Amino acid sequence: MLITSPKRLRRRGIVGMNLRNVVYIGQNNQRKFYPRVDDKLQTKILAEKARIAVPRLLGVARYQSHTKKLREFLAQEDAFVIKPSKGSGGKGILVITGRDGENYLKPSGSQVDDRGIRRHVSDILSGLFSLGGKPDVAMIEELVNFSEVFDGFSFEGVPDIRVIVYKGYPVMAMTRLSTKESDGKANLHQGAVGVGIDIAKGHALNAVQHGRPLEVHPDTGRNLKELKVPDWPLFLELAAKAYEMTELGYLGADIVLDKEKGPLILELNARPGLAIQVANNFGLESRVIAVEKELEKGSRAPAPAERVAFSMQNFAL
Amino acid sequence: MRNRFELTLLITILLVLGIGTTIYKVKVLGFSFNPDKRETVWTVESRINFIADGGPIKIAMNLPDNSDGLIVTESLRQAPGYTVTRRVSEDGAKQIVWSRKDTPQGKQHIYYRANIFRRKSAEDFRKSEIPKALPKLSQPLRDTYLEAAENLIKKARNPENDTLKTGIAIINELNSPEKNPAAALLLEMPRDNGGRLGLACDLLTKAKIHSRIVKGLVLSRNNRNKKLSSYIEIFADKKWQLINPKTAEVENPDAFLLWQKNNEALLEIEGGSKARVRFSSLATKILANQAAIKGGLHKHSWLVDFSIYSLPISSQNAFKLLLLIPFGALIVVILRNLVGIQTAGTFMPILIALSFLQTTLVVGLILFLIVVCVGLILRALLSHLNLLLVPRISAILVFVITIYLAISVIGFKMGSEVGLNVTFFPMIIISWSIERMCVLWEEEGGKDVLIQGSGSLFTASVIYVLMQNNFIGNMTYAFPELLLVLLAIILMIGTYSGYRLSELRRFEPMGRE
Repeated sequence: MLITSPKRLRRRGIVGMNLRNVVYIGQNNQRKFYPRVDDKLQTKILAEKARIAVPRLLGVARYQSHTKKLREFLAQEDAFVIKPSKGSGGKGILVITGRDGENYLKPSGSQVDDRGIRRHVSDILSGLFSLGGKPDVAMIEELVNFSEVFDGFSFEGVPDIRVIVYKGYPVMAMTRLSTKESDGKANLHQGAVGVGIDIAKGHALNAVQHGRPLEVHPDTGRNLKELKVPDWPLFLELAAKAYEMTELGYLGADIVLDKEKGPLILELNARPGLAIQVANNFGLESRVIAVEKELEKGSRAPAPAERVAFSMQNFAL
Repeated sequence: MRNRFELTLLITILLVLGIGTTIYKVKVLGFSFNPDKRETVWTVESRINFIADGGPIKIAMNLPDNSDGLIVTESLRQAPGYTVTRRVSEDGAKQIVWSRKDTPQGKQHIYYRANIFRRKSAEDFRKSEIPKALPKLSQPLRDTYLEAAENLIKKARNPENDTLKTGIAIINELNSPEKNPAAALLLEMPRDNGGRLGLACDLLTKAKIHSRIVKGLVLSRNNRNKKLSSYIEIFADKKWQLINPKTAEVENPDAFLLWQKNNEALLEIEGGSKARVRFSSLATKILANQAAIKGGLHKHSWLVDFSIYSLPISSQNAFKLLLLIPFGALIVVILRNLVGIQTAGTFMPILIALSFLQTTLVVGLILFLIVVCVGLILRALLSHLNLLLVPRISAILVFVITIYLAISVIGFKMGSEVGLNVTFFPMIIISWSIERMCVLWEEEGGKDVLIQGSGSLFTASVIYVLMQNNFIGNMTYAFPELLLVLLAIILMIGTYSGYRLSELRRFEPMGRE
């Protein structure tokens, strides 16, 4: 079958683009709160204030004059990440994993000298990586010390966990695993593997590539069913807390797992996509309705822990 | 929920206004949905000849009634030296008056020309004029004449005949005096005024049938130097029916330009003599919408008066194109939000479609592909230079213009002028598109560029085909108020939360049980 009927999709509670835009985003996400997630520096400051775990911010370069002080500033740091605050599509992110004398080391092993770092920050400041070329600021944050539990599940890099949070309730989760075909990118329609994660237990449910189910990772050959996220309730609680922080009713939280610090929010998204439904082989709508019903019951706003408990209890597959 | 109500109300108001105005323009002002529909226009010229006494002169002529579902426009008055005024005479007829202080003595003539077209069928207004009590006879009938008249009426009044047939029968009797001595007798009766038609009317009145004499021009044929023809009208079946007194047949009132009702004087002259009017008429066809606009402007209908038709022609032509753009926007909205086609840039396809209007589709598509492909290759060269955004776009703009130049010159040297059309493409938009596609290529890969690029071209082609359509061009130009309907549809789609067509494919695996 090439195409399915709207009736069937509705029966399965699949949310389409228009429903997401008109109702989920349109009615729950106030435009004035968008900068809280679109500007990563703002997200970070808000998160630190709300005691939500994020990779620690080391510093911010706001003006070209700051580039001269970079060397001195970075003297104490071995591993760090420099990224544009309003970058798009992962552009302009420079990862430094260590030192080789005066020079900095990239994950690939190649070296960057001090001038290279300065030029990169300068490029960020002049808006080379930001949408529409607007001047930006460069954030320097500590490098996440990725946990090894996801080794072998991804072709390159370390996968993050995407949790969709509706009005503070985690409703669906997945992880995106890059493949050779997706060129190391975690973009599903470029050929990355999407793995739905059970909200109740944190283990893999269902894996798809190009919308077709699969058992093992096409490049690493690891059985995708073995994927299990440790400390799962912590992930959910972190995602749930992002609701209070951003006041966005429909939100996507990208969470990574640090060896020592546990789950950290890497990024938030006010317009999370719908591919998560394909990865879970389940529609979002019924869960959103369940949340609405639950909210109608209580008179006071439930705490993040209560919401997580509700989700874990109700959204098992 | 309040939002929902407001939106529904807004959409309803927009629809009612838009559709209502359109219906009004079609029904009342005579606009047509069919751009090729033509209407007959009669150019009627009246030539007034008279002999002036010398000195002040005043000539008044009755004009045909505008209210008769006829529209009289572009009155051209060729009468040098005369001042022209309009007035309404005591018996309610519209008149045009020429006056002059010092007319040279002798033969004079004045021309009056009008374009006349029919707004609605003459039937409608003929229903609205309901006669009052029967008038008095113009000349009393006595003795033998009265007897003859009663005989004639009795003969005509057959129980099977209705009012109209009775009336026609009376006229027929008068037309054949050789068969009916009563008719012959009545015709021989000396009459002060009205002649045979006056007699016919008197007989009809006597038979309790409303009738009147009307004068006018039969427009169905071309007239040259004709007098006004006299006809009889009979009120039957709740309307005035036009009857040719010679044949006693009912005539089509649509082809008759009624100039005089009852016995109004056609021409009044002071300070001159031997005045007479002769009429010429010529039928031509013009576009129905053109006629409607002319009529509307003449009647000062505000819908036409305060609209694009009051602008100079060059501005109107600009608006003809501009009015198509919202339509293009609607297509973009439909294709993006209902079908789910991805385009590079929201309204870029509309601008490309506008360019296609100049270049034609196939040529446009080929030129567009050449420009964008060469542009993408050149832009790729810029990639590793890490330029800032504005200089980058500016550099692409230079590339684009160079490509235009190259295509034009190479094409022209090879003997083809097709390449010259490339200049119709909006350079800035093309430059931005190239930039965005290139970024897309780097971030998402070539497949996405292909999807968005072909989506844009497909959308542009659909818009082009529709914009180029004569019917749609006519709709947007003749009925700009349809913009309100368009807006209502866009608002409706704006709140549509159902699936897109493309999602039925995208989520197809999830539809399986």
